[in-house]
Amino acid sequence: MARIEINNLTKKFGDLTALDDVTVSLEQGQIVGLLGPNGSGKTTLIKILNGLLQPTSGSVTINGSAPGVETKKVVAYLPDRNALPDYMTASQLMDIYEDFFEDFDRIKAEAMVDDLGINRKQTMKKMSKGTKEKLQLCLVMARQAEVYLLDEPIGGVDPATRDYILRTIISNYNENAVVLISTHLISDVESVLDDVVFIKDGRVVLHKAADEIREEKGESIDKLFREVFKC
Amino acid sequence: MLGKLLKYEIPAMGRKLLPLYAAWAVTALLLGLTAQAAETKSEFMVVISALLYTAIATVIFVMTIILIVQRYNNSLLGDEAYFNHVLPVSVSAHIGNKAISAMIWILVTILVAVLTGILIGIGALIVSGEALSLRDLIKVFYEIDLPEHFGLYFFEVLILSIGSIVKTIMQIYAAITIGHQAPNRTTLASIGAYILIMIFESSVGRAFLPLLLKVEYGTDGFMNFNRIFIPTFIATLAFSAIYFFVCKYLMEKRLNLA
Repeated sequence: MARIEINNLTKKFGDLTALDDVTVSLEQGQIVGLLGPNGSGKTTLIKILNGLLQPTSGSVTINGSAPGVETKKVVAYLPDRNALPDYMTASQLMDIYEDFFEDFDRIKAEAMVDDLGINRKQTMKKMSKGTKEKLQLCLVMARQAEVYLLDEPIGGVDPATRDYILRTIISNYNENAVVLISTHLISDVESVLDDVVFIKDGRVVLHKAADEIREEKGESIDKLFREVFKC
Repeated sequence: MLGKLLKYEIPAMGRKLLPLYAAWAVTALLLGLTAQAAETKSEFMVVISALLYTAIATVIFVMTIILIVQRYNNSLLGDEAYFNHVLPVSVSAHIGNKAISAMIWILVTILVAVLTGILIGIGALIVSGEALSLRDLIKVFYEIDLPEHFGLYFFEVLILSIGSIVKTIMQIYAAITIGHQAPNRTTLASIGAYILIMIFESSVGRAFLPLLLKVEYGTDGFMNFNRIFIPTFIATLAFSAIYFFVCKYLMEKRLNLA
């Protein structure tokens, strides 16, 4: 059974079709790049996997179950915005994660927070946009989840932090988990990807192993991306 | 999980309300002190204290309502929903958490209002120099001629009041949740939904009122009271349950965080 199963998924917002008959199956033990330009449907797909949006038609399952309490126990989600209460400190947010997620590793989270120079006693309100993003990522990556859904994890951070994040993702990689990274910054993530899903206008236009693409096309994923999504 | 949610939700509202309660208590004491002193001195201070006391009371009541709306809207339908809805917690627990927390803070606000009344009295006693012992207070209490079944009347009115508070909270939550089905006009749609909920409730009330009037009332006051109390309480619970399930259904089946 695949970790993530998406079958004939369509999502419409009024007249706009955000996802159009998407079918994708993702196995555990890989880092998958969900790649596409802005507005291609990446965030919509990730939100549906988290149960934050309801599909118009089709279905999604994680470990064979539709998004719900059981899937939320094993999914670690990094949203594309700051979703944490701004009156709370980094330390208090770690308390919440510890209370609600059995797979949360407090020691790991504290080490990551310290590595990134985040003040544990500072409230979110007083943190810069970049620091908020870093903290959210620390909390998410400190979980030993089975599914990681990372929506633009490197979008708003400096190159040094970007490297740290990618190293963290790789070090968290285990054979039981699948990591789905949504981004349009292909060159930065290319080196860590095992599998690639290209999404354009709500449709999956390519789903292949990263090595296969490099061998067959003889070019980098970034170059292929530029060709596929040429304006 | 509900307990864990409450552990964070109750302080979230308290951090805004507790400083206001403290300010309210201080102005109450000040009002008591100045009110008694005004008998011999200027009335100017008592007017200022009374204005201050009323202003803070108004701010607290308005703030309580705003916080109830804000906490529900931001946490379950706004940006924080991206965090809250990925916690491994059922939608029922989320709604229950908000409702219980809101009810607790409304009850605390009412309790603080009573306490400020006592503080006004204490302030006045301090200035007058009169001492009222606990024994005097108990004596006064026992001298009050309470009606028969007072304890039961009190209990029934209390649970009906709590039920009414819960119903009002659930009305507000249902209106907000329905309003979010119109993503571009959320506020307007929520207000519209609230008006429709009120119309729905009064229509149901009008339909059932004749049945209540048909009941034969006897001479036993407590029994007569119960003939009105029981259906009213059941209706309050039923409306609360309806609004709860409206919220639950929409959040489980129609949640669309844009």
